[in-house]
Amino acid sequence: MNITLGQYYPVDSVIHRLDARAKILATIIYIIAVFCAKGIIGYGLCIGFLALVILLCKVPFRLMLRSLRSIIVIIIFTVALNMLFIRTGTEVFTLGFIHITTGGILTAVRLCIRLIILITGSSILTLVTTPIALTEGIERLLRPFKKIGVPSHEIAMMMSIALRFIPTLIEELDKIKKAQMARGADFDTGGLVKKAKAMIPLLVPLFVSAFRRADELAMAMEARCYRGDINRTKMRELVYGRSDFYALGIVTLLTVCVILLRILL
Amino acid sequence: MNFVESRNLQFEYTKYDDETDSRVSVKALKGVDINIRKGEFTAVLGRNGSGKSTFAKLINGLNIPTEGLLYVRGLDASVEKNIWDIRQNVGMVFQNPDNQIIATIVEEDIAFGPENLGMPPSEIVKNVDMALKAVSMEEFRNAAPAYLSGGQKQRIAIAGILAMKPECIILDEPTAMLDPQGRKEVMNTVTMLNKEEGITIILITHYMEEAALADRIIVMNDGKVAMEGAPREIFSRVEEMKSLHLDVPQITELSYVINKSIKKFPADILNIEEFTDAFKYYGFNKNFSYKKENSIAKFNKPILEVKKLTHIYGKETAFEKVAVKDIDLTVGEGDFIGLIGHTGSGKSTLIQHFNALVKGDEGNVLFKGKDIFEDKAGLKFIRQKIGLVFQYPEYQIFETTIYDEVAYGPKNCGLSAEEIDVRVREALAFVGIAEDMYKKSPFDLSGGQKRRVAIAGILAMKPEILVLDEPMAGLDPYGRDEILSNIKRMHDDLGITVILVSHSMEDIAAIADKILVMNKGSIAMYDTVDNVFKEPDRLTAMGLNAPQLTLLFKRLRDELGLDVPVNVYDIKEAAEILISALK
Repeated sequence: MNITLGQYYPVDSVIHRLDARAKILATIIYIIAVFCAKGIIGYGLCIGFLALVILLCKVPFRLMLRSLRSIIVIIIFTVALNMLFIRTGTEVFTLGFIHITTGGILTAVRLCIRLIILITGSSILTLVTTPIALTEGIERLLRPFKKIGVPSHEIAMMMSIALRFIPTLIEELDKIKKAQMARGADFDTGGLVKKAKAMIPLLVPLFVSAFRRADELAMAMEARCYRGDINRTKMRELVYGRSDFYALGIVTLLTVCVILLRILL
Repeated sequence: MNFVESRNLQFEYTKYDDETDSRVSVKALKGVDINIRKGEFTAVLGRNGSGKSTFAKLINGLNIPTEGLLYVRGLDASVEKNIWDIRQNVGMVFQNPDNQIIATIVEEDIAFGPENLGMPPSEIVKNVDMALKAVSMEEFRNAAPAYLSGGQKQRIAIAGILAMKPECIILDEPTAMLDPQGRKEVMNTVTMLNKEEGITIILITHYMEEAALADRIIVMNDGKVAMEGAPREIFSRVEEMKSLHLDVPQITELSYVINKSIKKFPADILNIEEFTDAFKYYGFNKNFSYKKENSIAKFNKPILEVKKLTHIYGKETAFEKVAVKDIDLTVGEGDFIGLIGHTGSGKSTLIQHFNALVKGDEGNVLFKGKDIFEDKAGLKFIRQKIGLVFQYPEYQIFETTIYDEVAYGPKNCGLSAEEIDVRVREALAFVGIAEDMYKKSPFDLSGGQKRRVAIAGILAMKPEILVLDEPMAGLDPYGRDEILSNIKRMHDDLGITVILVSHSMEDIAAIADKILVMNKGSIAMYDTVDNVFKEPDRLTAMGLNAPQLTLLFKRLRDELGLDVPVNVYDIKEAAEILISALK
């Protein structure tokens, strides 16, 4: 069985090759830029940068649109709310209690663009980075905060074990479901209560199995000398390359420009 | 000093007891004295619960001795500060390959141990290369373990240990979940590591053929060492081994039986090559001839028919995989069919079609001449009539009492309370679960008992056809025999048509009438037991095998020109034939 987790799109591109940390940081900096953007030039810069990244990363554009589909309700909702309740500028349309103004339309369009840019921008991060690399990137970025008690290694280890075992458990659930169906179980018909009751024969074995697996995995890890973050090294340490600095430099420059534009104009 | 030395080693753990609502302590080891030399290959045998795994975990520092002495590499294993040193040098491979792989990429998983030891990155890369090479898995460096076969996964687990450069590897039933091909892969790797790299091996196993490869065997029983010695010595004590609910390799048992009549013939032969040599050496009657007719296929009235069945997983995606293709199959009423095939040959997919758990992309399945999907409401009836026991059926257990667990199926069939009661009692009696157990939690049972309860759960639905997917997997020889004799009685006494999936050719030969061989999603052979096992080479090419006795008789015929049939699967019969040939 094949279950792809996350939405990583495996091609080789300049963007794919960047260090996971650089990609996470760049995404955060870019989000700041989008929030600071004002005026046509500001938005234009943000969209232009996004277009450049989309071209460079070689991921089909429709995949990014797919992540937009899931927030379409939110977009429509925000647009509607803004149009209905913002009453600045001149009135363009009135119907009963509904007043639509130029100010409302402008804000709605602005928000709409901002949301689309934000979602597309952050979906690129997950499209070009494997879940494991993301986990490792987060661990490394959080490492400085270890001194104030952020368990960065443990968080990363838990995330990567979850990533490793979710497909296994989904497969297991499928097997248990079939096994109970072979015993005449019926998961599809009946009311809510009956359906909820029918889940017991699925969930009890699944939890028993998850605990057994966790127990065996913990033992296997201990047998391989795992003891948390004590004296641990990595086979492949993340190393910033020149392109990572370029990427971070460009995105920072973009943000600075956008902020300057906001202040100056 | 020996690599491992124990004196009066004891281990006790506490467990919660439901009935008395208190904690009781269980003695898993009751005074074990063992010496294991450096570079030695030791096999540890014993039935489930005899303390084998507990002993292994003590050596690795996963458990701390309650009493007695245990020295590993000269270090006291009961002292906390020695444990990391010991674990680094004594690696451990477990039974379930899925539950010991940590990373999503092979290379990263192998690096996990060295990373924990704090090796510098350059050294880790070197060790990972070395380990991959040692288990011949170099080309899978960047693969995802999920897509590897069981045998390959276990080799990755071994590589993960090797990368830590250990002096000793303990393997706890590493082949229990593998098919014959995977077992061979793992055992070849293990013997190579011992012979060529000089790594001390401690192998816990239920397969006597694997134990025969060791330098020395330790037999454990009830928390103590029951027997100890070279494989030849241990396996020739056939009666004693059987009294400990263990087995000996078929070839050894055969030589033992022959030795009873012909004293000069050795009683401790371990493999086919040795047997052939002994036979030649002893001298046999060159004119001896024994003929045995091949059994003729019986044609029973069809009960289950499969027509042009094709099933494709992940259709129209990048992961598209044809699981079974163009299957045509007729199962007769009262047949006993053995279904064999390597992992991934399509066996499991095929049998899930029999009771409408999955629907083929093409083709159909008929039960008593009627398409099983003909009326949707009839699916429950179909699943009742065609019982399917999944692999490791004890993993579906969920009820609080054994009685309720078995009653789940009949209840779903919508039977009356009285009828359910009758069926539950019948089914549990059939698998040998006594009435005083009915109110106990099924989770408290031993592995073999749990499995029998799970099988009773299907039996209580009164199926006309029973399909069992490797019902003996992971059990000790005694547990295997119990299940096997249960299945035989279901066929013989209850008249149930049985389809048994198994990796044990010996079991299939002993019990089935016909064999269905699956290979790469198609039916490779479907014939009588005799006709299928007649061609061992063809089976080997498909990652399978013929029973040991068949292989032996074929060799005696091909190499020594002895005129014997190859369709002999029973030790008694084989011994009778060979004794008369030796006279």
